[in-house]
Amino acid sequence: MRRIVILWLGLAVASVALGAAAAFETRATRLQAIKTVGIVSAIGEEMSLTQAGLTGLGNTGQTASISAWGLDELIVQQTTKLLSGRFRVQPVSYRRTAFAAIRDSAVAPVNLLRSDPFKELVRSDVAPQGLDAYIVITRARSKLGNGRNVEGVGLAQYRTLLADYGLIHALYEVRVIDGKSFDVIEKRAAAPLDNTGTMRLAGPSGTVDQGLDGPASSERMRAAIADLITRSLPVTLGDMHLANGDER
Amino acid sequence: MNHFDEAALDPAVSAQQILLTAILAALVAIVAIPQSASAQTAFTLPAPPFEVPMLPSPSGNWTVMVGIGGEYTPDFVGSKNGKFLPIPIFSIRRAGSIDQFRGPRDSASIALLDVGNFRAGPAFKYVSSRKSDKYSELTGLGDVKAAYELGGFVEYYPVDWLRLRTELRQGFGGHSGAVADVSADVIVPLIQRLTISAGPRFTWKSTKATEPYFGVDAAQALASGLPMYDARGGAHSVGVGSQISYRINPQWEVHAYVEYQKLLGDAADSPLVKLRGSSNQTTVGLGASYSFDFRIR
Repeated sequence: MRRIVILWLGLAVASVALGAAAAFETRATRLQAIKTVGIVSAIGEEMSLTQAGLTGLGNTGQTASISAWGLDELIVQQTTKLLSGRFRVQPVSYRRTAFAAIRDSAVAPVNLLRSDPFKELVRSDVAPQGLDAYIVITRARSKLGNGRNVEGVGLAQYRTLLADYGLIHALYEVRVIDGKSFDVIEKRAAAPLDNTGTMRLAGPSGTVDQGLDGPASSERMRAAIADLITRSLPVTLGDMHLANGDER
Repeated sequence: MNHFDEAALDPAVSAQQILLTAILAALVAIVAIPQSASAQTAFTLPAPPFEVPMLPSPSGNWTVMVGIGGEYTPDFVGSKNGKFLPIPIFSIRRAGSIDQFRGPRDSASIALLDVGNFRAGPAFKYVSSRKSDKYSELTGLGDVKAAYELGGFVEYYPVDWLRLRTELRQGFGGHSGAVADVSADVIVPLIQRLTISAGPRFTWKSTKATEPYFGVDAAQALASGLPMYDARGGAHSVGVGSQISYRINPQWEVHAYVEYQKLLGDAADSPLVKLRGSSNQTTVGLGASYSFDFRIR
């Protein structure tokens, strides 16, 4: 009797293990099958200007158009360069504003339960269809201070009683979307570049120095943001096993 | 200031748990300290062998905070004597995400709704048991079992430096009543590393949440020598709290806090409080924590 129970238990454990292995195909397996990719980038249309810390009542964030900076073109160019060693990257067309307009729900469980909104957009809005996968780079979000969220590209000021601190940020996340099933194979937000500051965001950011004031500040700001992107992209794509580690 | 992700550990964990956590914290700190000074992350863990549908991938950078604190707090609610409790500090969050402001009296909570200045979600508080044989003032009153309070919280930041928070919880176990906490905190960053905060607190409790701790029935009156007392619900306490935190560097942070409560209503009028305790309840705490990053591939 005891032997039969052990036998049944062993059979049950083996069934569960095999079932789990079959059901949970790893992302590495799915990434290995990808040969052709298209790249979508939609973070560079506007930048946010946010204040946190000791701010006045009614202080709300502002936005400014930065489409002339060509950040999305830079991202596509850099990503193409990083992925070319492993994938055949094909140019794709898409409505950038449609991708930039999508926001996460404020109710966290909704984001887990609903279908990823970028899946449908890739299916309906990107041409050509039929590539093995699409790499979609969109804005990510982070907390700043206690009651402020910052997103995408921006300039944030944290005000204290005795001093003000400035941060530039380029917060983005990368999705790998299957070109046939449109499942999200992997999604990852770019990580902070270092852990040396006491004021941190959940993505690439850097302190604002004096050089960002005065004439030609826009060009210097663009250069600083571009630097955040070009330094963080190899790390992020490497972490996702999309680019070779030695390209960092 | 306890941390457990967004969930605070209750001070009244067992001595074994505290010891285990402290040893674990020390071990982790020893592993992390030499590496974190030079590396971006303390260590890298391999990716999990499979992904769970619906749940986000754990891959990426994470920040772990470990530490130890201590709290001098009344022996039991209404006591005039105090005791020292060690408090383990542990939290884990996505790297770079802000260690959001927490009040010392906040319950463990998770913000399922977060629109920046408005957050809401479930809240949980563990209220440790009250053993009559541990304190002479309680002799004859019998034990009150540990209570588990489940409910929700809402907090709103009209400005970044002012937090308004409300919790409503239903008790199970030691009491089966409702508890509401209301608090406001003015949070002033003096400099980037040094923050002070202070504000008023108010607590309301229903009769079922008040009676087990402050009521005296006939049997208890006979055994304890206290007069019979029927404790009903209502305004339970009003108080004020303040805390200060200083981030020495990205890894180390120290903090201290003081919370004062004045018991009100039937809790303050209970013979346990009037004859053997005090309606003035003060808690003082301090702690230090160390943060380090690790990566899951």
